[in-house]
Formats: sequence, structure tokens, C-alpha cells
Amino acid sequence: MGFFAPWFLGGLAAVSVPVFIHLLRRHTTTPRPVSSLMFFERGTQSSTRHRRLRYLLLFALRALLVVLLALAFANPFVRRSSVSASEKLLVIAIDDSFSMRAGTRLADAKRAALAVLEKRAGAEHAQVMVLGGDLAILTQSITDSTQLKAAIDGIGPGDSHSNFGELGRGMRALAETVHTPIELHLFSDMQESNMPGNFADMVMPGNVSLVLHPVVTGTIPNWTVESVEAPGQLVEPKKAHVVAVIAGHETPAARRTVSLVVNGAVTATKQIDVPAAGRATVAFDGLDVPFGESRCAVKIDSADGFPGDDASLFAVKRADPERVLFVHQASDTRSPLYFGAALAAAAQASFVLQPITPEQAADADPARYAFVVLSDVPAIPTLLENNLAKSIDNGGSVLIAEGTAGSHRERIPVFGGAVSEGRYYARAGGAAAVTQVDASHPSLKDAAGWPDVKFFYASVVDAGKARVLARLGDGTPLLLDRQMGQGHALLFTSGLDNVTNDLPLHPEFVAFVDRTARYLAGMERTAGPRLVDTFVQLRSPANEPVRSGGGSVVVVGPDGKRPLSLTEEASAQTLPLKQAGFYQIRFPSGRETLVAVNPDPRESSLKVIPDDVLGLWSGNPAASPDQTTAVVARKADASVWWWVMLLVLIAAATESVVASGYLGTQREEA
Amino acid sequence: MQRFLDPAVLSRINGLDLIAKTVVDGFVAGLHRSPDFGFSQEFAEYRAYAPGDDLRHVDWNLFARTERTYLKRYRGETNSQLTILLDASNSMQFGSHAVSKMDYARYVAASLFYMAIHNQRDPAGLIVFDDEVRNSIRPSTRSGQLPRLLAGLEQAEPRARTDFAKPLGHFQELLRRRGIVLILSDFYEDPETIVKAIEPLRFHGSEVVLFHILDPEEIKPKLRGPSILVDLETEQRMEVIPEYIKGEYRRRVDRHLEQMQEKARAAGLGYHLLVTDKPLDEALSEYLHLRPGGA
Repeated sequence: MGFFAPWFLGGLAAVSVPVFIHLLRRHTTTPRPVSSLMFFERGTQSSTRHRRLRYLLLFALRALLVVLLALAFANPFVRRSSVSASEKLLVIAIDDSFSMRAGTRLADAKRAALAVLEKRAGAEHAQVMVLGGDLAILTQSITDSTQLKAAIDGIGPGDSHSNFGELGRGMRALAETVHTPIELHLFSDMQESNMPGNFADMVMPGNVSLVLHPVVTGTIPNWTVESVEAPGQLVEPKKAHVVAVIAGHETPAARRTVSLVVNGAVTATKQIDVPAAGRATVAFDGLDVPFGESRCAVKIDSADGFPGDDASLFAVKRADPERVLFVHQASDTRSPLYFGAALAAAAQASFVLQPITPEQAADADPARYAFVVLSDVPAIPTLLENNLAKSIDNGGSVLIAEGTAGSHRERIPVFGGAVSEGRYYARAGGAAAVTQVDASHPSLKDAAGWPDVKFFYASVVDAGKARVLARLGDGTPLLLDRQMGQGHALLFTSGLDNVTNDLPLHPEFVAFVDRTARYLAGMERTAGPRLVDTFVQLRSPANEPVRSGGGSVVVVGPDGKRPLSLTEEASAQTLPLKQAGFYQIRFPSGRETLVAVNPDPRESSLKVIPDDVLGLWSGNPAASPDQTTAVVARKADASVWWWVMLLVLIAAATESVVASGYLGTQREEA
Repeated sequence: MQRFLDPAVLSRINGLDLIAKTVVDGFVAGLHRSPDFGFSQEFAEYRAYAPGDDLRHVDWNLFARTERTYLKRYRGETNSQLTILLDASNSMQFGSHAVSKMDYARYVAASLFYMAIHNQRDPAGLIVFDDEVRNSIRPSTRSGQLPRLLAGLEQAEPRARTDFAKPLGHFQELLRRRGIVLILSDFYEDPETIVKAIEPLRFHGSEVVLFHILDPEEIKPKLRGPSILVDLETEQRMEVIPEYIKGEYRRRVDRHLEQMQEKARAAGLGYHLLVTDKPLDEALSEYLHLRPGGA
């Protein structure tokens, strides 16, 4: 027996109060004067005995009451192993994160789990879970050993990054529905990187006793390709650069051989010196890839116990520059000049601008262009507008720069809505500046210099359902993004020349054009390698009903299988990336892309959690973390607070009865 | 009017003279009689003049004939000299409420003095005693007698213990003439001893009445638990239990009161029990009853 809050036992000193009242204060009776004692007789002996008997009973009750109250606050518990097998739930959680691929960790964990399952009593309920990116429940609470063993045997290696905070949250949710004691056995390599930022997230609820089964005891050195920076799309292979960071975890200083692999063939090799437990950067100039999608990787020579993280994948698409349809008035030569120059300077020359007048664009097919730009055009042919709307519904995009022409028309083509007025700030003798920028939008990620840009003209447009990305100082929307079907329409209420503003003269214009081009061309969604357990957006959120029938998505996973069902392919908005490798995705617009997925680099750090932290987590600091053999002998601490409070109530009631009886006797005497 | 005789009401009045006036006026008003009742005009006897006698009562016609000074006495005056013996022992200071036994005795004595001197023109005197005579004021009707008597009452603070036998000789010296002798005491003594000590006062032909003053708590004490009691006169301590108080004590007190009454009657002494939470009219009535020519 023990106490959860032993410092409350100091309250036992309060017993001195009834001791004072009954045993000390009793002797201070004030003598009472009388005229004469001639009619009185001494009655000392009998009265004292009577009083002691009666007072001692009351004293005992009151002292008992104080003692019980102090005990109740100290929250006593009894340590017992008497929880019957049918009252306890055995939960087996196996870590199948990427790091468990090192050596025989996963096999060891499964073998240890089966051993625990063997020792389980027949009537004891058990449940098997897998801790990966999230806590997956493989079986319900059952007693069938065959199913439980099959569930454990079926656990395969994963590529996720596990988090013990997720385990804590899962167990807290389980404890809310299961009120019996839960014995959780965790089989893991106890990576320090698996701990959440807040230790409280991984603390188990009161009725869960945690038993840890580390499958490794020490930290092993490990080198890994931590990150790779490479272009997602390139036009000129010789101008491309690939930069990789090689990291060593708990490693000595060593020379490593780094290889660049394209479609399975090593195209370049370099030697670098990696400092002890440090990082080194290696760069490859030129990336000789064929046209189309290429599966590339940066690899290091395997010299550690965890070869799984010795390569980092990335996908590169080599293609001719995509065309951008730029519709402008014949008299406007500045807009295509500035926009084309910016587009050529950025985006690694992935786009080529095709300027065209509205009259010439009547029979242009927007689906054949990466995106369309309507710059300062009062009107466009109806045929073009219809084709453009259809293209946007299927995932195409358009950038509309209003310019001064916007104020002369009633309706903005494609985008919808009307221009209520045109504000000429220059006529008022000044210029407007940007005061609000939504930096979370891909187009404005590098918009730090926008407040310095002077705007001399802007059309006032009703935002409606569009997202306002930037506003001028007087609240006029400057840049709006509206989702239309599966595509987007970006509305710039000023112009792309240097007449309505001086943005083209600022460096931010290049970044804006680059980001906007990538965003409108759909490159942002799949750019660069991804990590396991992240998502790829397959469709835009359905803010508006799709006007034409949306096509299906086709996804082929790293294992050659299609991870989505037919229903999901027709409706899913996102694709969770559960495996490392290359995902081939065909979007509803017909655009195909290759997405490289790598494990979380934190999984490469094989440093284990210190024993004292593990002891603290399991609630038994003095014990060794490896509790496998001590599981059977483990005893649960059961609080007996309620029983003590029951005794307090009984003692209080008895004290009231005895005290009332005593007071009643006094009244009768009076 | 009865409330002006209530001791609790009187305790809130300052000054014995005012208390006495309040009591007596209230009492007399309650009788619906003439305030000069009992003042008889029927001649009774001549008495030789003694220093201190009121010159207004000298029979000057007789003096003219015989050149001797005699006082002319009437029937109402012959046996109406009032002397009060006040017990001022420590036990008299006991009181369970606003009025102690000593206070009550003072009120009774003051009222009687006021009635005797102011209303009845009777000489009145006071003897204060405990185990000896502490103060004595001879009976007189001279002007200033009433304030003297009231001052004597004021000065009579309880002390020492009661002893009737010891001051008895002094009593007899001080009470040579016939009259009314009232003894105010709580009589915590053996009834036989008390009566034996007081009985000789009757030998001069005086009417002797015992006013037995007790607090209601002394007749029916309230004890919540075993308590230690202290005797006010002897300072002796004793622990007693409530059970005894409820039984044996009350029987003993009742027997004591009965014996007091019996012994006093047997010796020709008047006896009245005055409880300090009761009005004072009983004492006044008794005085008027005893006084010759009274109501």
C-alpha cells in the first residue's frame, strides 16, 4: 500500500485539535460559586468516570474522522495483481516505421510480440495495432489467438515516420471507450526522433500501463542522403544542377562515394568527405535525362546497418518548353515584352510565350497551351471564350490582366463579374501601394517587395466568390484567384505593362511571373520530391459544381498497383503517399506526372531514447526499460480513495449521532 | 403598578431612596386606601421624654401643670418601632440574575424604612451583622433618619460569614424597647440554632419576623454537567453531579425550608420566604399586618 499524494499526510497533525478539546481543555472547568455547600454532596468519582466514557467515544470518532480525511487526501492505493484476465485488455503495438527496416528489427519485434501473446491467459482480450504514420488497428478486442497471431505475422515493413504522440492520442481515445485496465506492450526501436515536441502528448492515461520492448539497445551509425535539390522539369539538360546533402548520424568522419542514377543507370559519381556526425553537400552539374519523365536518385555506397536510406529519389521531366497563349491588343507591345522577358528569365525556360491579338485567337485551342493570358483586351471572340471556359473546367488556367481596357466593358470575359469603375491614381497626383498580400498563395510567395510598387490604375471589381490575394491601400482588390471547375482564373486588376504600374520594372515581377506560370501550369502540385505520409492534390476543392463531366484520376503506386479504388479515382481530391518510390499520376486534365516519394529523413537518425526517459514514460523510472520478463509480475496500483471517503462519511454520520445524543442529554438536564 | 415592585425593574433604578419611594407609592396605590391609614388618634399612654424624641410629641399642657416633659403616645405608635437586622455575610452576594440576595434585601429594607418613616411616622433602626455587629443605627423619627438608614444599607457590603449566636448579646442591648424586629437573611444554618439564637429577642415583647431571602437558583439549581462548586463563605470546593441536584439536593432544601417555618412558628416568630425574582409586596404587607392599628 502506498499514497499517490503522501504530503497530505501532514494533515494528520490536525488530530491535535480533538486531543486538545477532549483531553486538555477538559481540565479547565471554571468553578461555580454557590451560597453554601451545606446541602450538597460530593460526586466526583462517578461523574468523572461517566464523562470520560462518553467523551472518549466522541473523541475517538472525531480523531478517526480527521485521520480518514488526511488519508483520503493522500490518495492511498494498493498494489495488486488481482485484475482478472477477463477484466484486462492486452494491447500489442508494433512500430513499423521506416527505421524498423534496419537489420532484423521488425522481425525481432514481431517475434517478441508473439512471445507476449503466448503468455496471455486464454480468456484475456487482446488487440493488435501498428504504429506507423498513424495508429492503425489491425484487430478488434478479441480472444482468438489465431487471428491475433495472423495479424502480427501480416505486418510488413513500412516507410512512414512514427510518432509516439500519435500512440498516446490513440490510447487516450481507447481509454475513453474501454474502462477496464489496459496493458499496452510497445515493440519499437525507440527512436529519439519519434518523440513528439511535447512529452505530455505521449503520456498514457491512468488505466493504461505501458510496457516497453525495445528491439535494439544501442545507437548504430548511419549515413543517409538527407535531401536532393533538382529541377522538376527541364529543357536544357546541361544547364541543370543537382545538389544533394549527405548526412551522418552518430558516424565517424569518412569518405563516401555519391552516385547520380538516372533510370537505373549511374551517370555520375563523386567522392566527398563527410565530417563526424555532420553533413556534406555534393553538386552534380548537368542532368542528362531523355525526353519525358525520368526516375532519378542520388545514392551513397552502403557501409552501415541501414541501407534502406542510402538513396534519395527524385523525378525529372524533360520536355520542350510549353507554350503560353498571350492575347493582347495590337497596339499594346509593352505587355508581351515585359511578360515574355520575365517568363524567359525564370521558370528555367520551361515556357515560351506566343503573343497573339484577339482577332487571331478566335480559333486557338486553349487546351494546347500551358495557360492563357488575356492582357488588357476589351473583348475576345466568343469562340475563344467558350473554349477557354471549357478548358478551365477541365483543369486549365487563365491570367487576366485588366488594364485600362477593363473600364470600357460591362463584363470581364471568362472570369465573370463587372468592373464598376476604373481608378486612375495618377490623375489624383499620386500612386497607390499594396497594403495586403496573401503570402500563402503560390503566386505571391516572393512578394516581399510589392509594397514598394506604384500602381497608377486599377479596376474596381466585385470579388464575389474569388479569393483576394492582394489589395491596394484604398481596399481595391489587386489580385484575385477564382476556382472554376478544376481550373483557376487569376485576375490582375491592373496591367502587365509599365503604364498602369511600375511592377514590371521591379525584380519581384520576375518572381511573380515565374510563380504564377508554374501555378497556372499545374507544376506546383507535383514539383519536387515528396515525403511519405504527405498528400498530392488530385483535384481542386469543389467550390463550384463541375460544369462538364470530370475525368478520372489514374494513380500507379511504387509497387505497380493502383492504390485508389475506381470510386476514389473518380472523386478523391487528394492522394496519401504511403510508400516510398515513384507514383505515376494522370490528372483529369490528361496531364501526366511522376512523383518521387522519400521516407522522412528523421527516420534515418537511429539514436534511441535514453533509458531514464523511457522509464519516465512507462511510469516506472527505477525499472529497466526491457520489461519483457517482468510483465507477468507487474502489479497495478489501484486507488482506494473511494473506500476511504466512504469511511469518512460513516464516521461523520456516527459522530453526528453521538454528538446529538450528548447534546440531547444536556438539554434534558437543563 | 405591580411592575414597580418587580426586583428586575428596580435594579435599573439608581439610589435606594428612589427605589423605596417607587415601591411604597406603588404598593400604597395598589391598596386603594388613605396614605395615613393606621395612624390612630386614640390616646394610649405617656412616656418620659428621652433625648432624640421629637419635641412635637411633647404634651406641653402636662408640662405646664407638672413641669415634667412627657410624650403623648397614641395606640398606633406604641408597638411600631421598626428594627431591621440585615445579614451581610458573603453568601448574600449570590445571585443568578440581575438582583442578588443582598440587593433584594436592601430593596426590602429601604422600602420598609420609607414606609415606616415617611408614611407611618414610626421610628426605624438598622443593625447590619455577619459574624458580629458591623453597623447599628438606633430607631428614631428625627429628620435625617431615613437618609442615614439608606446610607447604612448602601455601606452594608457582604463579607465574612453568618453567625447568629455571636452578635446575639449586641442585639439584646440594642433592642431594649418593644417593636417590630425584621431579620433579613438567607439563613444558611441549622434551623434550630437560628431560632434558638433569635428567640430571646421576643422577650421584650417585640414582634420578630424572619424574612428568608433565597435566589431561585438555590431552590432549583441548574447544572449541565459535573461541576466544581465553591462556597462563597468558606471557599470550600466540591465536585457534584447533576443527578444529585435533581434529587437529593431539592429534598434537602425543601426539608430545610419546612423546618425553618416549623421552628419559627413554634417559637412565636414570624417567617416568610422571599425569592429574589418575586415582587416586594409580600414583605410590605407583612409589616403593615404586624403594625398595631394597621390594615
